Amino acid sequence: MTRWIASLLLLLLAAGCGNPSGGSGVPGRSLEDLSAGKLVTGDQGGAAPSAGNAVLQGLREMVLYIGSPFLLRGTLLALQIASLAMVGGLALGLVLALMRLSSFRAFGGAAWFYIWFVRGTPQLLQLVFLYDALPLVGIKLDTFATAVVGFALNEAAFSAEIIRGGILSVNRTQAVAAMSLGMGPFLTLRRIILPQAMRAILPGLANDTIAMIKLTSLASVIFVNELTFRSQQIVSQNFKFFTVFAAAGAIYLMLTTVISAGQAALERHFNLELDRSRSRPSALARFLGVGRRAAALATPTPESRAPDHDSVDLRLVDAAHPLAAAAVIVPNAVPSPTNGDSHPAFVVCDDVRKAYGAREVLRGINMTVRRGEVVTIMGPSGSGKSTFLRLINHLDRLDQGEIVVDGKRVGYDKVGHSLRPARNLAKARADARIGMVFQHFNLFEHLTALQNVVEAPVRVYGEPRAAAVERGMRLLTSVGLAHHAHHLPHRLSGGQQQRVAIARALAIAPRLMLFDEPTSALDPELVGEVLAVIRRLADAGMTMIVVTHEVRFAREVADRVIFMDGGVIVEEGPPAEILGAPKQPRTQQFLRLVEREVGTF
Amino acid sequence: MRSTCWLFAAVVTGVLVTALTPPALAKCEPEKAGAAYPNLVGKKTKIAIDPSTPPYTIRDPNNFENIIGFDADLARAVFKCVGLQLEFATGAWSGLLPSVIAGQNDAMWSNLYYTAERAKQVDYVVYMQAGTGALVRKGNPKKLKSMDDTCGIRAAAGLGTVEEAAFRDQSKKCVASGKPEIPQVSYPDVAGGVRLVQNDRADVMLTDLALVDQLARDNPTAFERGFAMMTGFKVGVAIKKGREDLLKALAEGLKEMQGDGTQRELLKKYGLDPTLQITSETLRN
Repeated sequence: MTRWIASLLLLLLAAGCGNPSGGSGVPGRSLEDLSAGKLVTGDQGGAAPSAGNAVLQGLREMVLYIGSPFLLRGTLLALQIASLAMVGGLALGLVLALMRLSSFRAFGGAAWFYIWFVRGTPQLLQLVFLYDALPLVGIKLDTFATAVVGFALNEAAFSAEIIRGGILSVNRTQAVAAMSLGMGPFLTLRRIILPQAMRAILPGLANDTIAMIKLTSLASVIFVNELTFRSQQIVSQNFKFFTVFAAAGAIYLMLTTVISAGQAALERHFNLELDRSRSRPSALARFLGVGRRAAALATPTPESRAPDHDSVDLRLVDAAHPLAAAAVIVPNAVPSPTNGDSHPAFVVCDDVRKAYGAREVLRGINMTVRRGEVVTIMGPSGSGKSTFLRLINHLDRLDQGEIVVDGKRVGYDKVGHSLRPARNLAKARADARIGMVFQHFNLFEHLTALQNVVEAPVRVYGEPRAAAVERGMRLLTSVGLAHHAHHLPHRLSGGQQQRVAIARALAIAPRLMLFDEPTSALDPELVGEVLAVIRRLADAGMTMIVVTHEVRFAREVADRVIFMDGGVIVEEGPPAEILGAPKQPRTQQFLRLVEREVGTF
Repeated sequence: MRSTCWLFAAVVTGVLVTALTPPALAKCEPEKAGAAYPNLVGKKTKIAIDPSTPPYTIRDPNNFENIIGFDADLARAVFKCVGLQLEFATGAWSGLLPSVIAGQNDAMWSNLYYTAERAKQVDYVVYMQAGTGALVRKGNPKKLKSMDDTCGIRAAAGLGTVEEAAFRDQSKKCVASGKPEIPQVSYPDVAGGVRLVQNDRADVMLTDLALVDQLARDNPTAFERGFAMMTGFKVGVAIKKGREDLLKALAEGLKEMQGDGTQRELLKKYGLDPTLQITSETLRN
């Protein structure tokens, strides 16, 4: 489709290089029958033909005007200007939107100023200024170029706000998930954010396109002879304003109808809720907005699917190929003998501190995780557990202290005694190969399960697509979701989504896995299938830090349990000790609460 | 001594012959364009016009791609006479003069009146005078016989025209003499103004006299001329200041077209009064 649009634009550009201002002397088809001459007035006196004949005659004239090359040339010109200006305006608008969203104040301020100025001044004056004032400083744009530039500059200001709105409509967790996979900001924007923002962006842009096609008539003041101006010229010569303007209106209506249809098609393309496998309503029905509800009703809700079907899958995988599955899941799991003894510590945290404003979230965390160790972190909400995880793979910045993973500081350069964030943070994250699983899964909503899994291997690590797909399928099989490889996340249950998320994190061949309350957002009956997958990872020797409230899981799987509260580690030790006989009153109180909660289920 | 005498006689004779011979009759010399206008020859001079200004610059009803009208035909004749090429740039009237001042076009030739204000920014070659007419509905329901009758009357004039300014001035006079001011409407194109009067949204439309008469003649049941004013406005072609070669070419060409009767013929062809012609002259401020 992109190629289609590109060639269409080239064609329009080429045609636009001709004589767009419609000067003199070009012979065209004669239209003498249209211009009998006299002004049609309301009071025609006795010589008037019968009313029916007059209407018929008027209609005939209108049709002839619609087909007249003179007006069609004006139509083409309006289209050329609008489409080229739309492309330029969108490109500039995207830049402006990103500038406004940027954390650099100068960027945001400059973009805000531009938008404020352009939106706040009449477009007619902008066009006259570009055409008649720029020559004073030696910049002389011709009529066509002025119109394209003028409308593009204007559109940029409006589309910037539409695009910004679209980007803001995409949940921030999507970007966080992409960051955790080592995706850089522009890759994230192109692959993850914009495709999802399109649904919110499209209606506004269609509005702007239609408005621009009609507004090109403003450019008559800078010698653009588009449709409206041409029809005015005909009227001022034969005064038949009714038929001529009706013809121009009909032409505009045809153009905007095409755009509306294009909008409907594009919206369908970006509509994730539409079930493409089922019979679709006709194009006309879609255009009229009928059938959308029917399609939505036809899509089964996640609740209506039987979850036991998948757990069967999981058991089959477990029973039949436990070792093979483990090998697929944990490619980096075999402990290296050189690191085993001489560098027993794989993750070392030293006096880690973090505050959000005046609120201190982490107040000096010291801990070590050895290679192959499974550590669970427990603690009440607000104790800083999730923040701590996010610091380990540098999704958030340290205020003080340092974290070393496999001998490296993820995305920091040591300057003297302090740490400075590295320039290419995304690459540092990618090199660290730390997989992360989130409480709310954070799957890319517009990509299927398999596409979610292969995104980072292909786009970040440059793995050949075929190989990545093959490995992705094996990963999905190993978490029991081979049947769902081509489903979008919203069609999966919570447990299935979380298993896809684990497969996605495993696809980057992680050396360390971080789990941030992976089962807290799940219905109780779905918790088991996710914990089973994590348990198998532990069995296979993956180094893991798991934030969880699942006491039983911690007892059975963890090598060590850490209890956090108020931004510090309250106590830590083997599960039997911490969960069985906690020494600290805060730990005791928390465990009592958790167990009572579990008991109510 | 004798030779001195002969020389004296020769000089006197020469001076007398030069002085007494009537100036050679004007005649077009397109083949000399290269020598006369080296900077203009071979290029298309861009003439800004609004092709919705009947009967001066309009689309040819038989072929909309063509532009006809008194000004358009006169411009073509002038350029043919001086051996130069022209190209019409068609735009809305209010954008024409700014485009010439900005240098986007070379001249404006679209029924433009000379005013001292405009002459600060452009040079003129004028060639006719304008009459101004008031178009009213049939029967002149508001009984408008002069500008003094227009106080409190809904009045229409073209955007950026001298008629628009005339109503503004008249309105001030009305207020000064204790009468109601003029509710004024400005239209972007002539046909739009005609519709204002036709649909009883305005009582009077002030525009070029020839156009008013043509409209009244063609639509006797709808319109008539309320009143006419010989405002003394001169009509000319406007050129950006400093374009001496173009100014000279236009002055030369117009002189020729008046000398050989072409302008008079064109005035008649488009239903304009031939007596509106004035001797062409260059006007600069």
